Amino acid sequence: MKEWFKKGEHWVWFSASTVSISVVLVIGLLLMISFRGLVHFWPHEVYEYEVKTDNGKIEQVVGELHDTKLKEFQDKSYKDGIKKIPQFLIKVGNRDVYGIDFRWINTAQIVGRQDVLADDVTVIERYEWGNVYGYLALIKQDGKTLATGKAVLPKMQKLVDEGQALNAEINHIEKVVLGGINYDLEQLRLEQKRLEAKGTYTAEIARELAEKRKALNVKFESHQDALKSLYKESKSLGEVTLDIAGGKVIHVPIKSIVRFWQPNNMVMSEKVGFFFDSIGHFLLDEPREANTEGGVFPAIVGTITMVILMAIFVTPMGVIAAIYMSEYAKDGLVLRMVRISINNLAGVPSIVFGIFGLGFFVYIIGGSIDELFYSYALPSPTFGTPALLWASLTMALLTLPVVIVSTQEGLSRIPRALREGGLALGATKSETIMKIVLPMSMPAIMTGLILAVARAAGEVAPLMLVGVVKLAPELPIDLNAPFVHLDRKFMHLGFHIYDVGFQSPNVEASQPLVYATSLLLVLIIVGLNLGAITIRNKLREKYKALDN
Amino acid sequence: MSEQNMSIAIDRHHRGMTLDTEETAIVVKNWNLYYGSKQALQNITMKLPQNRVTAFIGPSGCGKSTLLRCFNRMNDLIDIVSVEGEMLLHGEDMYAKEMDVAALRRRVGMVFQKPNPFPKSIYENVSYGLRLQGINDKNVLDETVEWALKGAGLWEEVKDRLDENALGLSGGQQQRLCIARAIAIKPEVLLLDEPTSALDPISTLAIEELIFELKKDFTILIVTHNMQQAARVSDYTAFMYMGDLIEYTDTDSLFTNPQVKRTEDYISGRYG
Repeated sequence: MKEWFKKGEHWVWFSASTVSISVVLVIGLLLMISFRGLVHFWPHEVYEYEVKTDNGKIEQVVGELHDTKLKEFQDKSYKDGIKKIPQFLIKVGNRDVYGIDFRWINTAQIVGRQDVLADDVTVIERYEWGNVYGYLALIKQDGKTLATGKAVLPKMQKLVDEGQALNAEINHIEKVVLGGINYDLEQLRLEQKRLEAKGTYTAEIARELAEKRKALNVKFESHQDALKSLYKESKSLGEVTLDIAGGKVIHVPIKSIVRFWQPNNMVMSEKVGFFFDSIGHFLLDEPREANTEGGVFPAIVGTITMVILMAIFVTPMGVIAAIYMSEYAKDGLVLRMVRISINNLAGVPSIVFGIFGLGFFVYIIGGSIDELFYSYALPSPTFGTPALLWASLTMALLTLPVVIVSTQEGLSRIPRALREGGLALGATKSETIMKIVLPMSMPAIMTGLILAVARAAGEVAPLMLVGVVKLAPELPIDLNAPFVHLDRKFMHLGFHIYDVGFQSPNVEASQPLVYATSLLLVLIIVGLNLGAITIRNKLREKYKALDN
Repeated sequence: MSEQNMSIAIDRHHRGMTLDTEETAIVVKNWNLYYGSKQALQNITMKLPQNRVTAFIGPSGCGKSTLLRCFNRMNDLIDIVSVEGEMLLHGEDMYAKEMDVAALRRRVGMVFQKPNPFPKSIYENVSYGLRLQGINDKNVLDETVEWALKGAGLWEEVKDRLDENALGLSGGQQQRLCIARAIAIKPEVLLLDEPTSALDPISTLAIEELIFELKKDFTILIVTHNMQQAARVSDYTAFMYMGDLIEYTDTDSLFTNPQVKRTEDYISGRYG
C-alpha cells in the first residue's frame, strides 16, 4: 500500500475518478433530458379508474398517468405514525368541461377497476382547450347525424383530413398572402409619411400611392372573400360528440381538431409512426395556448437566425481586432491593458451585456437611427426598440473576447519561418498576413466561433432585454423583401424554456414540453457546433504537417 | 564526396580566380549592425561577385546569418536592430529611404535553414511569388513553375502531383521546393541560410549540385556550418568571427593557404 502511494497511483485514481464523475454527469444530463423530452412524443396509454370520493360517491376518472408521488398521512397504527400512500397525477384533459387538465388521485380511494386500459378511448388534440379524452358517440353535420358508434371513426378520419386541408389553406392565405399585402400596405403608409416629412408629397405621388393602395385593397378584398368561404366551409364540417368520464358529453367541432388517436388500440408500428408525427408537429407547428402546447417552429427559426447573424458580426470584428493586436500594435502598457480588458470582458455577467445592449444599441444607436432615417414613422419606433439586430449585436459583443483570444492564439502559433518565407518572396506584411497567416489561423478562428456559437445559442438573460419575446407575431425571415427583418422581435428556444417552465399557467401540462425544448436546444447547439467542428477538422487536416 | 561531385569541385576551382577581376553584384561598405546596444557586425567591407557562389563560414554567433539577412533587409522585422554603413546592389543603395523593401526582396531571394513551404499545393507554392506580382496568366504561371522546378531539380519527382500539398514532400524535396519558389521570381541574388543543415546526406548532395547549376543564372550567397560544403560549392569564402570579417578570398586560397591564424585554427578544427 505504501508502495502504491509512493508511486503516485492515488493521484492517478483521483484524477480518473474526477473525469469519470464529469462524464457520468454529462451522460446523465443528456439521458435525462432525452428521456423526459422524448416521452412527451410517445403515445401515452389511457387508463380508467373508479375513485370513491370523500362524500362516498363513485367517480370515473379517465386519463394518462403522468406522475406518481408518495404522500404522508398521519396514522397511529403505523410504527412511526406515518402512512405513505402513492398519489397518481392523471391528465384528464377536457379542460372546457372539467376546468382543469390534471388532477391528483389518491390510490387508497381507487375502488373496483384499477390500472385498466380504457378500450377504444379516443384522444383528440385541439387547437384550443387542450386534449379531449372520451368515447366516440356520434358525428353530426348541419344538425343531421352522419354516424354513430363504430361507424364514427372512419367518417371522422375523412372529415378531419378535409378540415386539415382547409386549415392549411386558410393559414396560407392569412399568413402569407394577406400578411404580404398588409406588409405592402404598411410600406406604402410609411412611404407616404416619409414623403410628407420631406415635403415632397405632391398630388401626383398621392394619386400614385392611392392607386397602388386601391389595387392592394382590391386584392385584399378578393382574398378576404375566399377566406370567408373557406371559414364557412370548415365550419360546416360538423362536429363530433364524445362521452367523457363523469357521464358528461363533449362536442368537438371538426375544424378545431389538430389530430386524434386511439392510444390503447395502437400496435407498435402505429406508435412509432405517431411518435415521429408528434416530433414533426413539435418542430413545425406554431405554439398554442400561451406556448404550453403546439410546436416551437418560430423559436427554432429565431434562435438560428440570431446565432448566424451573431457569427456574421463577431467573426470579422474579432479577427480584425486580433490581427491588429498581435501583428501591428506595439507591445507596451496600452496593449497589455487592452488585453487584460478583453480577457475580463469574457467574465462580465451576461445580463450586464443585456443592459448595455438595451442602453447603447437600442436607445442610443437605435434611437438615433430612428431620428435620422425613420423620423416620419415616430413615435412608433423602427429600430429604437428591442429587435433581432440589437440582440445579435449584443451577443456578438458578448462573444467577442472568445473570438479575439482564440484568433490571437492561432496567429501566434504560425511559425515565424512561414511569415519570413512570404516576406522573402517580396510580399508586403499585409499580403503575408492575408494570404498565409490568416488562412493558416482558420482552425483557431473556427474554434473561437464554435465557442461563441455555443455561448450565444444558450444565452437567455441578455436576450430578454434586447429583442426576444414570448410570442412573436411574425418570423424574422419571410418572403417579403428584404427577407431578413432585422427590426423585428423574435422568439428564442432558451427563453421559450424559461417562459413555458416558469411563466405558464399550466405548469404540469408544460413540463414535458420544457424537456423536449431543452433537448431540441441542446441538439441545435450540438448541430451548429458539429458543422463548425467538421470545417475546422478539414482545415486542420490541411495544415497538419506543420506541427511536425 | 561522390565522383560526380568531385568532378564538379575540380571543374569549379579553376586556379587564378581572384576577386579583383570579377564583376561585382553587391558592395558592402563599413557595415555595422546593432541589436539594441550590442554590436553584432563590425565595420564589414566586401565586394560580392556576380554569378559566383560566395560562402560565409564561422563559428556559431559570428554574425554570418545576420549579415546574410541584411542583404534582403530581413533584419528590418526585428524592432531592436539598427544598422549603419552602405550596401549597394548593382550600385543602388539598398537601405535608401525610398527603397521599396518588397521590391528589393523580389530581387534578392532567400532560402531558409528549415524548409518552410506554405501549406498549399506544390504549384501554388512555386507560383506564389508571381501571383503576388499580379501575374495570373495560366500559361506564364505554368511555364515558370515548370522552369523553376526543373531549375531546382525537382520537376521529375513532382510533375505528376503538382496539386498535392507541399507538406507531403520529404525534407529534401521541401527545401528544393523552397529554392524553386525563390528562383521562380527570377531574383538577381539568391541567399541560402544553411540550406542543408536540416537535411540528410543524399538531399544535401542534391542541393549542392543544384547550387552549382544555379550560379549560371544567379549570384549565390550561402551561409554554412559545414566547411567541407563551403569548400565543395563555393568560389569565394568569407570567414567571420565575433562580428568581424576576418578573411575573405577565393575558396582554394582560404582553405589551402589561410593568411590569418584564426582562419587556420578554425578550418583545421581547433575551435568552432
